[in-house]
Amino acid sequence: MSLELLLIIAFGSAFLTYFLGKISKRIRDVFAVIISLSIAVIIAFFYNNSFIEILNIGFLDLPLILRINTFSWFFAITISIVGMLSIIFSLEYIKEKERTDFYYLMMLLINASMIGIVFSGDLLSFCIFWEIMSWSTFLLISYNRGAAISAGMKYIIMSLAGSIAMLIGILSLYSHYGTLIIEELSGSLAFASSTYTLFIFILFFIAFGIKNAVWPFHTWLPPAHSEAPSPFSAVLSGILVRMGMYGFLIIFYGIAGMNLFLNLGKGIIKFNYILAWIGAINIVIPTFIAMLQNDSKRLLAWHGVGQGGYMVLGIATGTSLGVAGGIFHIVNHTSYIALLFLVVGVIEYRTRGIRDLNSLGGLVKKMPVTFLGALVGACGLIGIPLTNGFVSKWLIYKTLILNQHPFLAFAALLGTWGTILSLFKFLHNIFLGQLPEKYKNIKKAPFSMQFPLLILSLIIILFGVLPGIPLEIINNIGISFGLESLNVNIWGIASETGTLNTINIFAAILAVGVIVWLIFNGARQTTKVDQYDNYAAGSAIPEGKYNYTVSFYRPLDRMIRPYLKDFVDEFYLKLSEWTQIICDSVRRIYTGYVGNYVMYIVLFMAFLILIQLKWSVF
Amino acid sequence: MNIIAIFISPLIALITGMFFLGISRKIMARLQWRYGPPVIQPVIDVIRSFSQMSISHGSLFDFGIILSLTGSFVLTLFLPIGELCPLTSGGLLVILYLMLLGPFGLALSGAAAANPNSSIGISRKFLLSLAYEVPLLLVLLAVMTRYNTISLVEIVKIQASTGWAFGSWTLVLSGIAYFLILPAILGVRPFEVIKASQEISSGPIAEFGGKHLAFSTLQHALHMFVGLALFVDIFLGGWTLFGLLDFLSGTVWVVVLGIVIFLLKMLVVLVIGIFINAVYPRYRIEQAMNYLLKWPTLISFIGLIIVVLVK
Repeated sequence: MSLELLLIIAFGSAFLTYFLGKISKRIRDVFAVIISLSIAVIIAFFYNNSFIEILNIGFLDLPLILRINTFSWFFAITISIVGMLSIIFSLEYIKEKERTDFYYLMMLLINASMIGIVFSGDLLSFCIFWEIMSWSTFLLISYNRGAAISAGMKYIIMSLAGSIAMLIGILSLYSHYGTLIIEELSGSLAFASSTYTLFIFILFFIAFGIKNAVWPFHTWLPPAHSEAPSPFSAVLSGILVRMGMYGFLIIFYGIAGMNLFLNLGKGIIKFNYILAWIGAINIVIPTFIAMLQNDSKRLLAWHGVGQGGYMVLGIATGTSLGVAGGIFHIVNHTSYIALLFLVVGVIEYRTRGIRDLNSLGGLVKKMPVTFLGALVGACGLIGIPLTNGFVSKWLIYKTLILNQHPFLAFAALLGTWGTILSLFKFLHNIFLGQLPEKYKNIKKAPFSMQFPLLILSLIIILFGVLPGIPLEIINNIGISFGLESLNVNIWGIASETGTLNTINIFAAILAVGVIVWLIFNGARQTTKVDQYDNYAAGSAIPEGKYNYTVSFYRPLDRMIRPYLKDFVDEFYLKLSEWTQIICDSVRRIYTGYVGNYVMYIVLFMAFLILIQLKWSVF
Repeated sequence: MNIIAIFISPLIALITGMFFLGISRKIMARLQWRYGPPVIQPVIDVIRSFSQMSISHGSLFDFGIILSLTGSFVLTLFLPIGELCPLTSGGLLVILYLMLLGPFGLALSGAAAANPNSSIGISRKFLLSLAYEVPLLLVLLAVMTRYNTISLVEIVKIQASTGWAFGSWTLVLSGIAYFLILPAILGVRPFEVIKASQEISSGPIAEFGGKHLAFSTLQHALHMFVGLALFVDIFLGGWTLFGLLDFLSGTVWVVVLGIVIFLLKMLVVLVIGIFINAVYPRYRIEQAMNYLLKWPTLISFIGLIIVVLVK
């Protein structure tokens, strides 16, 4: 099958779904699931294929080029799987809401446009698909109306700024080299002056940094993620934002090439070194801000920003181990953040829209499968051994330590310990502690919601125990970027400076766990008691008040809150305020009186005549 | 050798940890002019707990404590105890992460008990661990950067040839910082805010009885062992003793004596630590955090800068 046909199916079916919805909701649901599943299957069959398709449509005399290689396949399969799972999750989630046809149209359209981005072989079609993705994302972010509209506005304004930067970059490349084909452009920058290279790098850093929510362009992300419908938040945080990472890799490693990327700058002030520090800031500050959040989705959204820092840090190191860690972290992040957003979606669905972490609790007994998903997702995000997050973080830490960047490594490790705190708060406040009376009859999640949770949990553990499966592909991507090959095995990575063998760890934990479990079961049996049979220093349990969730980390909160002002966001808000004031004062000259306009014209004429008399310029 | 080590390492860790629990209570009692319980009192308590009636708050309550003890046992397999080190995969970074499993499991179990006292204890546990993790990470990074390796076995080996890290001027500050945070890692006075039995009725283990209590005691013992063993391995040269064992090299005696020396070093560190800390009253959680994020962090930060500058 050709890529062209795949894209036509992907885009066409999105619109077809909309019209099917007008006939029957049921047919539409089935069709949406089947089409997203079949796209995933088709892409899976493209594995290890590498070819280019040239379509001479005659637009500006530029051919549109579609291409597939290991790199784009890797992203495409991630996109299609997350897209499929979020569509399955949406079936129940979106049922009761209005404008569902529109919702499915947008979901499928975004998936199709992302697939288009990774398969495009020239920067023009890249830009076109990028724009389709940008505005359809805006429409879905503001799907819920209310606060979602302003979140969407914030997103689209920043996104447009990014698009303009990208467009300038693309035009500049075209005027310099006369081509926009990525393969032809690669290596061409090697002969450009370093100022021009820096100019291009900064433009694309702004373009992709905004999408990737890299500090200081992160401010759109927390409101957008928390206001979007949960299944879409999963796609948004999981893979759509990471299209920015794809762009970084294309620009820094694909077009500019590794040598240029690593050697731009003088002495210690090197481009990739500054990028690494931006990544480090990006890890620490958002992670600690996440700790202070009381809205479950906002908490996860800040982690979405924070985890992006690891990826930037990984690719900025420029070693094969670090880049592999960075790319692996992208797919890992997709799996666990999507899982966690879907978990929040289940909670939202069952409690009718409760996202406040202070008013939940004790749901583990009512929703065991959802809790399992949350636990696995949290472990992945923290990077506990045997989850995939551990492997990618290990690769990044090891690179940083052995390349003598202990302070960057410190930022990365500190981010992890911050993650533990906020993720435990997330788990505790939703699932543990006492169950409030009003949720006594809450039902467990329907199967169509549990299914994506289970699949994603399985992926997290599978890639954690057998990291060789994705690392094999990532290693090939690294080689195509001109990096050294890694010694990848199914159980991890072998090297002289430290081997990671996850099977070893898995076997140890499993064996010891079984022994401990046997001892536990062999000891005297316990009696099961409910939550009201609890220690309360001799007094009766006050129902609904015997819970510790509000200000879970109060001492820390008091300590760090003054330092964690999001001054970047404040700056942007001030900027928009000033713009409004300036535009307001400009508006005042339009008074509506013809006499005034005549006066303007006369004054302007007088001004021109004055200039002509004085300097005779015309 | 490795097969034997897999079985011996956790046993050594468990026995030593329980002994340390007993001896610290004894020393503490003597310092306070009491007679104190016998040294094997913790062992007696654990054995008796196993046969007692107890309650359970559901399967997560059980799972958490099993995970916690499992994590601690697995951790002992990754630590070089003398010359025994059955598993080396991933080096110090894996150890750092495996150190999470114990507290994480205990936290899950305690939180599943639906008791606010437990939750408060857990919240304090995480806050305290964040506060001591900051200097600890700086210390470990200083050591890893200095020796340019991420493997703990390698770190011990380098010290065998170049002398203890604590004795080298580049790492002495890091060593001091580790010693300062050691009581917080072990959860002893003045950092016993987590279990503060007078205010939050033993914190995370408030609902534990019977086998849960026994398991949490075992986990505590192992945790104590791990905290001390890491210090001895990183800063006091593990099993080495100024080359005194060189004439035995190659024989099985060096392994046995190595373990003995290793354990003795741990005991010395523990006793010194108890002497210093027994006279302090308990900190409040914010005082503890302020202290940990001030002096130990500053010292370890300077230590890391020295290491970077020397490189």
